[in-house]
Formats: sequence, C-alpha cells, structure tokens
Amino acid sequence: MIIFENITKKFPLGNVALDNISFSIEDNEFVFLVGPSGAGKTTIIKLILKEIEPTSGSILVDDLDITNKNFSKILTLRRSLGVIFQDFKIIYEKNVFENIALSLLVLEKYSSSQIKEKVREALTVVGLKDKEKVFPIQLSAGELQRVAIARAIAGERKIILADEPTGNLDPKTTWEIMKIFKKIDKEKTIIFATHNADIVNSFQKRVLVLRDGKLIKDLRKGKYEL
Amino acid sequence: MKNFFISIKRTPFQSAASFLVLFFSLFLTLFLFITLAFSESLLSYIETRPQITVYFQPKTNENEIFKIRDELNNSGKILSIKYINQKQAFEIYKQMNKDNPLLLEMVSADILPPSLEIYAKKPIFLPQIAEYLKKQASVDEVQFQKDILDRLLTLTSILRKISLTFFIYLFLMTTTVLIAITHFKIALKKEEIEILNLLGASYSYIRRPFLKEAFFMAIFASIFAFSIILAILFYFHPFLNSYLQGISSLSLNILNLNLLIWPINWSFLSITFLITSLFGVLVSLFSTFLATKKYL
Repeated sequence: MIIFENITKKFPLGNVALDNISFSIEDNEFVFLVGPSGAGKTTIIKLILKEIEPTSGSILVDDLDITNKNFSKILTLRRSLGVIFQDFKIIYEKNVFENIALSLLVLEKYSSSQIKEKVREALTVVGLKDKEKVFPIQLSAGELQRVAIARAIAGERKIILADEPTGNLDPKTTWEIMKIFKKIDKEKTIIFATHNADIVNSFQKRVLVLRDGKLIKDLRKGKYEL
Repeated sequence: MKNFFISIKRTPFQSAASFLVLFFSLFLTLFLFITLAFSESLLSYIETRPQITVYFQPKTNENEIFKIRDELNNSGKILSIKYINQKQAFEIYKQMNKDNPLLLEMVSADILPPSLEIYAKKPIFLPQIAEYLKKQASVDEVQFQKDILDRLLTLTSILRKISLTFFIYLFLMTTTVLIAITHFKIALKKEEIEILNLLGASYSYIRRPFLKEAFFMAIFASIFAFSIILAILFYFHPFLNSYLQGISSLSLNILNLNLLIWPINWSFLSITFLITSLFGVLVSLFSTFLATKKYL
C-alpha cells in the first residue's frame, strides 16, 4: 500500500511541484496519473523512488515511512519497485537477457539457474522469448520498452512505476505494450503516468488527475478528464 | 573474468592506460627491488670476507699482538678476530704455492709476519679500526679494502634512498592516474550506474566490477612486468656471470631466512614476483577504492 499524506514539494527556485496532496493506493491496484506537463506526475514517481525528498508531508510504502529522516531501507524500498521510463533506460552493451537479469542480480540472492528461469518467465510475459540474446541496438522502440517492462516485473517487484512508457511509441505499439500491462494487472500495484487519453479511457481504472501540483480529481473507474 | 574482458572491450583506451601505468610502475619496482637485493647481498658477501688484515713485524712478541687483539675486542666494534701466527702463515703459504717448489724453498716460517684477520660489526667501524692499528708500533702493514667497501656502502645507501623515493613517487603517480582513469570509466557507465541505483543495487554491488577489474589488471601487469624482467635477467646472465666471477653465491638474510640471490634462484624470483604483485594489487585496489568512493 502506498500512502501520500499532505505532500508538498517545492524546488529550490521556488516552483511548487506538488501542493499538499494526499491519496492512498491499495496493493495490486492500477492507478493512472494524468495531467498536463508540469502537473507533478513525474515528481510523484520520483518521490516514491526516493530520488527526491518532499518539502513536507509523509509517504508510506508498504508500512515503511520513506520520508522519515532516519529511513535507512532504501535498498529494500527500491528492490520492491519496478520502474519503466519513456526513454527505456536500457543498457546497450548488454543483451536482452543480461538487461533483465540485472534486475535479479542486484538482489544478490538468486542462483544463475533461478535467474535464467525468472528472466525467461518475464520474457514470455512481454513476448520476447526468442530474443534473449539480441542486443538492444537490433530492437525496435516497442521491443525496447518490452525489455524495460520485463526488467521491471522480473523477480518480486510488487510495485510498478511507469513514467509515460508509451510516450515515444506509435499507436499500434502502444496498444501492444498496454496488453502487457493488462496481463500483469491485479498481480502488482501499477502507477502509470500518461498523457494518452485513449489508454486511460479504455482501461477504466482509477485516475488521479493533477494540475499545477494539485490533486484535482480522484476518479474510480475514471476517464481522462482535465 | 568474462566481465573483465567485456569491460576492456567496452573501454579499450582507459583499460590500456590502466594497464600501461601499472606495468610501468611494477616494472620499475621489480627492477629496483632486484638491484637492491643484489647490492645488499654483495655488501653482505664482502662483509663476510676478512675486512682488515693487519701484518705485524716478524719478530713481534705474541703477547703484544694479543694485547692489541684484546683491546680491539673490548671496543665493541669487533665481530671476530682470528690470529694467524708465523707457523700457520707458512702453512697457508705452502698451500698456496704447492705447485711451485722454488718459491717454497726460498721462504721459511720466521720471515713471514704474524697477522690478525679482523671482522667488524659494521663496515662504518672499519676506518676507525684501521686508524687505530696504524698507530701501533709493532704493526708493519694494514690491508683494508676501504675503497671497495666505501663505494659499495655509498651505492647501497643511495640505492635505498632512490628506491624509497621512487616507491613513493610511483605509488602517488599510479594512484593519481588510476583514479583519473576510473573516473572516466564511471562517467562512461553513468547511465548503467543510474539504472542499478534505481533497481536497488547496493553500493558494494555497483563498486565490485571496478574493484575486480582493478585486481585482474594488476595481476596481468605484474605477470607482464615480471616476464620482461626475467627476459632481461637471462639476457644479461653471461655478463653477470663474468662480472661476479669468483663469487660462488650471494645471499640475503631476511627475517632469519637465508635467501639465495645468485646464482639465479627461483625462490628469490618467486618472492620478488609475489611482492610486486601484492604492491600492484594494493595500489590498483586502493586507487579504485578512492575513485569509486568519490565519484559513485
């Protein structure tokens, strides 16, 4: 469960990215974050990742108060999160298998046979079973994003943070990617930041609407409304 | 090991720079170490030879010689003194000239001088002892290889100082260059490190490949430097053989362990290789440790 309580984030130059927002997300819930550029979608994702700190308020992720000054379990936190970015963030010197395996290797608890098994499971989910030895340079944008999704879902990552994952993709590829999200829906908590009204409208999931750092709507089975 | 070669492939120039700087430092370290070991063992060898031989006038009373011997023994500067009387001197003479009966016929024991063979505790005492002996009325001649010892002492002392200065310089130079190279490598892997951080990789996990690479680089550089030194050593072996003619063996006493240096001894070379590798690994790991601590 993720709980935001009265979160405000001001940047040093004074611009307010988030202004006293509160919400909670249940386990295995699918939530869209929508809003125009600069509304605060990416700031929410960065706060959950603990890449940045809020100016005030508290954030709880699976009962861990990650805003506590004495919080020391950043590795535990990040190991429970799978992150997907618009620009994929794939390592081009590693092949598909190695890119996904990285997500498990950093946990330092799986044997190589377990890693092989889990990587192949993830590759099956994203439909890249036959491309494990291929290098990213040989893949299309849609395939690269599938690799990023496979990396995010491999292992025991319970929360998936997707920051405009279809932003660089054409409509056809976007829907192929969304099919993968449909597959993993209800298995993991998914926070999906997007501009794409079609996706939001077709999924009929919870929608948090942000504008100028404020949470202006929290819609159950919502539609894209600004 | 596989990751080590992949990293070399990904950053060939940085890896080549790391290797060359380590090779250069380790080659010089080996060269200095072996030269120092040779000069130290040569000094030890010369110290085991009679350092001062003092010849008395043939008719000198033995008691007078013993008095001088006792005074020297009481000075605290003497390791040992051997007295050779006229009879013993004649026996030595006979032994040395056994193939030349004419020389044996011409010499008798009473014309040979009695002598003392003196070994000092430290070579620096030798000039003082020689000076003392020259002042004695019964002394005919003092043989003292002052020049050779002085030169060797000076050479060893200079070598020690040069080696120490060089070690410090090499350590600083290698560390600085390796830190800069590791910084480059970290910059090249910036995105990968960012991804690893987001995936929850521990600091030690991110640092480990850099340290592993540093370790293997040092080992390979040590092996290469050692091979070159071996080739040089064997190339100059005939020259060394003729230069050290008459010296059957040279050895060093380190921590009560008598280590044979010459003729070329594999135990000494193995120890040299181990010390150099250890130095290389320490420098390489230390630099990488500092660089990753600062830039990761």
